Amino acid sequence: MTDKTEKAPEVVGFACSYCTFKASEMAGSLRMKYPEKVRVIQVPCSSRVDPAFVIKAIFEGADGVFVSGCHPGDCHFIRGNYFTRRKMAALKEMFKAFSMEGKVKLFWISAAEARKFIEKITNFYNELREEKNAGKKN
Amino acid sequence: MQGKRIDNEKIKAALNRFLEKQNHIALGFGKNSIFITHKIYRDHVDDLFLFNPYFSINGATFFYRVFGKDIKALMLLRPCEIRAMVELIKLNQIDPETAIMVSVDCPGAISLKKANADMPHDFFEIKQALDKNNRELRWACRFCREKRAVVGDAGIRIAEDRSMWIFPYSDKGNEFLGLIDEETIEFTGKFILSEGVKTEPFTTDMATFNSDFSKCILCKNCRDMCPVCYCVDCLFAGDEYLPKGDALINKMLRTGTEIFPYGKEIFHMIRMYHVSQTCVGCGACEEACPQEIPLTKYFKGISERLQNLFSYMSGRDIKEVIPYLTIKEDELNDAED
Repeated sequence: MTDKTEKAPEVVGFACSYCTFKASEMAGSLRMKYPEKVRVIQVPCSSRVDPAFVIKAIFEGADGVFVSGCHPGDCHFIRGNYFTRRKMAALKEMFKAFSMEGKVKLFWISAAEARKFIEKITNFYNELREEKNAGKKN
Repeated sequence: MQGKRIDNEKIKAALNRFLEKQNHIALGFGKNSIFITHKIYRDHVDDLFLFNPYFSINGATFFYRVFGKDIKALMLLRPCEIRAMVELIKLNQIDPETAIMVSVDCPGAISLKKANADMPHDFFEIKQALDKNNRELRWACRFCREKRAVVGDAGIRIAEDRSMWIFPYSDKGNEFLGLIDEETIEFTGKFILSEGVKTEPFTTDMATFNSDFSKCILCKNCRDMCPVCYCVDCLFAGDEYLPKGDALINKMLRTGTEIFPYGKEIFHMIRMYHVSQTCVGCGACEEACPQEIPLTKYFKGISERLQNLFSYMSGRDIKEVIPYLTIKEDELNDAED
């Protein structure tokens, strides 16, 4: 049971329509549950995500953002997720410089890995919830 | 290293020879009524200054609009300005065939905001004046990464024995050296400028960021004066990037008592990311800021940190590809969380 005084973090996720979004649909058809404050946005490829989207999401109220795509080498558009990897590595380095590491995550989740999707996202959500409610009594 | 020993007069003679042809222009430093500033030479060169003790605007900001026609332009500028030009060539904003870029050793500069017109314009006199009064030197110049003229098509460098030399770095540079009436000889001495300052990786936190940027009035001058911020349709044109209507009301109701969302963090952080690989650390943004926010500290710090991730340095070599535009299959294997 969630305590009513506890603040729930908000998570925005950008999911590649060829893999992670399919994994989230599969998780739905398998009746698996993930926190309802996680909002998944479908993008045609993970490299469609300009890090500007992530920065905007974070400074307009999201507590954490994840970007998720196919495993390196499995991209539908051949090289898209390699670009994502460079861009997100740089973005994470920038957030590290601002002492905000942990707010941005990059996942590789294929269409078959519904369980991995649930685990990764629930872990991320729980991390953020602990951080947000740090110093409060449970 | 093969080069030519030159002086001011020989450079002027070579420039005059270059300007004899049609559609040729030269860009360098000349004098306006008070200060030394950028000047375009068309028919003859009279008052060329190789060294400029004032930093006002990065020349690349305006010079990339000069191109597009059937012209050839020779430029004698600071290394930071040449590096910005190189980045703009990589971003297809300048046709590489039109520009012959000659960098000149930079002794450092003072901000035009704090300038008085009595600065000398000889390399050694400028250096001496800046060394004597260290406070005057701009922040960006104090932590400059590359003061040496080792970028562009050719470089004018100062040796320890106070002689001036020019070295070609490409075919276009050789073309310009051909206009100088001097023998090519081997240079064996030492240069007066050594490698740039190595700094610790930049670290800060949001509290410091907010207090530094609390004075920001979002005039966006920093964007307009940035040489590598070239997009015509900027993300921040108008107010499309800010929440409005239902989204803003929803944000207000959801987040509780908070500072009004001006969008300062969004503007500066997104711009910081977008120029991270191309920023040359010239400090033109700070010169343009009416509120004197220490922008260079953030933009230079973040860009150096992010460039080190890919062992890249903006403007170093025209053949290097900007890291976000290329990939390697086997790298960053720990990127996944």
